[in-house]
Amino acid sequence: MLQGRNIVEGWRSLLVHGLLVLLFLILIGRYYYLMIVFHEKYAEKATANHIRAVPVLASRGVIYDRAGNLIVDNAPSYTISVIPIEVKDKPQSLEQLSSIMEISVEEINRRIVKNRRGNFAPAKVFSRVPFEKISYLQEHRLELIGVTYSIEPIRNYVSDLDLSHALGYTREINRDDLNRFKKESDYQPGDQVGWKGLEKYYESDLHGQRGFRYIEVNALGQEIGELEDRAPINPIPGHDLILSIDSYIQRAVEKALADSSGSVVILNHKTGEILAYASRPGYDLEMLSGRISSKDWNALLQDPRKPLYDRGIQGLYPAGSTLKPLAALYSLENHSNAKDRTYMCRGSYRLGNRSFGCWKKTGHGKMNLHDALQQSCNVYFFNLIQDIGLEDWAHIAREFGFGKRTNIDIPGENKGLVPDTKYMNRKYGQNQWTRGNLLNIVVGQGDVLVTPLQLAQFAGMLAQRGTQFQPHFVNQVVSKNSDIIMENISPSKDRVTASKDSWDFIHQAMWDVVNGKKGTAKAARQKEWDIYGKTGTAQNPHGEDHAWFIGFSLDERYPYSWAVLLENGGGGGGKAAPLIGKVLRSIAKRPS
Amino acid sequence: MNISSYIIVKLKELEWSTLILVLILSASGLLAIYSIEAQHDSSAGYFLRQSIWTIIGIVLFLTAYFIPRKVIHNLTYPAYGIGIVLLFIPILMKSGGSVSRWIVIGSIGIQPSEFMKIFLLLALAKYFADHKKRLATLKELMTPVAMTLGPTILVLAQPDLGTALVYFGILIVIIFWAGIKPLHFFLLLAPIASMLAAFQTISFFLWMGVIIVVLYFNHLPFWTKIMNFFINVGLGGITNLLWALLKPYQQQRILSMIDSDSDPLGAGYQVSQSLTAFGSGGPFGKGLGEGTQTHLKFLPEQHTDFIMSVIGEEFGFVGVMVVLTLFYLLIARLITQAYNSKFRFDSVILIGIATIYIFHVFVNLGMIVGIMPVTGIPLPFISYGGSFMITSMILAGLSVNMSSVRRAVG
Repeated sequence: MLQGRNIVEGWRSLLVHGLLVLLFLILIGRYYYLMIVFHEKYAEKATANHIRAVPVLASRGVIYDRAGNLIVDNAPSYTISVIPIEVKDKPQSLEQLSSIMEISVEEINRRIVKNRRGNFAPAKVFSRVPFEKISYLQEHRLELIGVTYSIEPIRNYVSDLDLSHALGYTREINRDDLNRFKKESDYQPGDQVGWKGLEKYYESDLHGQRGFRYIEVNALGQEIGELEDRAPINPIPGHDLILSIDSYIQRAVEKALADSSGSVVILNHKTGEILAYASRPGYDLEMLSGRISSKDWNALLQDPRKPLYDRGIQGLYPAGSTLKPLAALYSLENHSNAKDRTYMCRGSYRLGNRSFGCWKKTGHGKMNLHDALQQSCNVYFFNLIQDIGLEDWAHIAREFGFGKRTNIDIPGENKGLVPDTKYMNRKYGQNQWTRGNLLNIVVGQGDVLVTPLQLAQFAGMLAQRGTQFQPHFVNQVVSKNSDIIMENISPSKDRVTASKDSWDFIHQAMWDVVNGKKGTAKAARQKEWDIYGKTGTAQNPHGEDHAWFIGFSLDERYPYSWAVLLENGGGGGGKAAPLIGKVLRSIAKRPS
Repeated sequence: MNISSYIIVKLKELEWSTLILVLILSASGLLAIYSIEAQHDSSAGYFLRQSIWTIIGIVLFLTAYFIPRKVIHNLTYPAYGIGIVLLFIPILMKSGGSVSRWIVIGSIGIQPSEFMKIFLLLALAKYFADHKKRLATLKELMTPVAMTLGPTILVLAQPDLGTALVYFGILIVIIFWAGIKPLHFFLLLAPIASMLAAFQTISFFLWMGVIIVVLYFNHLPFWTKIMNFFINVGLGGITNLLWALLKPYQQQRILSMIDSDSDPLGAGYQVSQSLTAFGSGGPFGKGLGEGTQTHLKFLPEQHTDFIMSVIGEEFGFVGVMVVLTLFYLLIARLITQAYNSKFRFDSVILIGIATIYIFHVFVNLGMIVGIMPVTGIPLPFISYGGSFMITSMILAGLSVNMSSVRRAVG
């Protein structure tokens, strides 16, 4: 019935009108609140939504020797990354990459997982890629969807010197460090971080601060372009290190060492500067920096000569006779007749029913303290220690820095071991150890363990008549605009006090070790200047003994102290003294 | 009267204002779609397609206007029947357990549920016009409720809760308009409110209080009052009980039916990005083509359901208010014309059209700013999409057609 009349009442129409107005007012209120009242909040949100800060790597600080010669700087290196989302459904990309790089797809996938920073961010899979591979990649980029490459600075070892253990190397930061550094710094997965040696110790100086450039991204995180109205934050390059290493001396040491295993530390005992530092065998920094294949790494780990082991600060050896000056100094200070005491050496010393031999089987005959030091007579010291308590001996050993870290500026240092009563009781049981153990200790065998650096420090303190110094590798940390950030100035520290007379005596005896007719280190003798020294033998149950030679020069031009350890270098200084003799000769011949 | 003189008369009678409002609204939608596409080398061609749909829509607008009211009246029930048949097709064509909303013919997808809005509306109008119902008793509601339930169940099977709610909205407003007694209207809607109120204790007790007061002050048989009250209490209780009996995943399934297109998390993301688009647009917007939310694709569904956030971001509060004003003018006119119609058939159709527009505008503009659930309800004339553009245009043309005969209002 089309003609049915409309009978709707006015109030119904009004109510529907009212409902319409109400609903529109609700909408208007909501939009006003959103777009006027909270406009700024949402404007910020929209900005944050589409702007992404892209990190720009800071160049790592470079490393110089003391004269300002470059040792380590940075070189560009190619890195291949994969964008996870783009290769997800394209196994052929990864297969192609795998065949170019000659690494399995599984390994590539493992690296993607490891370095993943999100679906759209490139995950690093290869570092230090040779340029040929990059150009091949460039030619085939259409078949390699989701594979990108970038240039990143890596460590470049400019110098011919082998300072591997001192310098250490950088590696990609691992997850633990990433979490550890997260609070204070801005590391990201894939960043290089100092892993060993100076690179690690001075990481915070070398690292610098990454910069940012701002790009516009879409909702998928894809780059749209550079943002024009927001200036990039430039990276702050890391600080440079100026080492105390003297390349000339270092080179002389390396030449003298040749292929021997062992360690040489030469330092300036007035300042604590390490002038030369060698631990042999070393390793190839180029190979370790960045990414190393597990094959190479395992080869390094399993090498019987232990190239990864920093003998200078980590190697623990019996000190041998190089420790005899300790007992001598104690005697000089505490026994009124120290210089005049004599003991007869017949090649061995009997204690109860045990016999303790001197290195000279035929015996030294009648010995006084001077001759016993010069000729390194064990029997004399076996007798002398009977008048010195273990605690007293341990005390003076610790005063000279044994049994504790030198706090040199590379990580991983070993403390060594100075046995005292407590230690002996713990190790052998209360009263279970005898004076026989003590005999071993006084001649630096048995339980005493030292590092080459500790012995170099000991030599330096003897040279300085007891004054301590802080051994260090880095003289200055310098910013890129030449501001000195940090300077290692050796503060005058504690000293071991002894009378001038006693020091003179020790110095004379050590001079005679090198220069005397019966000295054990005549091979270290120099024509132009006075060399002081002490030889030692570190007994080696596994083979030929290790040779020690410590010493110093009091020449104003060469305030140097050193410790040399030659593994299997023979007894009584063996090849160690000749080695330092060679180095010292070349120092004297240094062209000015 | 021959056809040409009929057309001339109709043209003279044509109220241009509605057509102009509709054209401005369609143009703003095209502008927003243009803005979205201009920044991308998108080959989707939304702008072109929507332009074509708009032109087809205008033709259909005029068609709906020129068809004589009598013809419409006569074709109403057959059209309703065809609509029901069409609604079955997606269900019969269902593949792999999921039912599509679309009937695909070549490259064009048709949503029969959109056109059903028109057929249902016409059928209801015819029913009330033909039967002169004054709706004195609730029994007279049986037929219109049944007419609505049919298509509602069919779209719920798709499942498309949003459209089902539109059908029900049409029914409720039309029976109100057709003269249902306020008390009956209240009693009819009370159970739905009781079930909703039951989700919260305080609101449930307040609502029960309202029911008691209403029942007390009205003349109804005592037992009817008691029965009504307990039906409401019972429904509230059962709702809670049933809800508690459901497993969490079943509850989630029901909740995600409200949000039919995507998972709740996804909807949260959409709304959050949409809020950012509006908020960052501020009073005057970022300018055409300058919306970062839009062009960097942070905005989801930007050309369909969330198209208003493009306008909000690029034209600001002012732009949104312009669109709101246009809609208000369009809808308020429809209500007034519905009241002023001489014939009931016209009046019911007009109020039904107003209802469809109100529902779509409020739910769409509410959901994109987080005050309504995300239900996939497009914005008339502005959202991209052919079926709904055509439906909206036909409704507008129909409204102009129906508003031509007025009663003398004193």
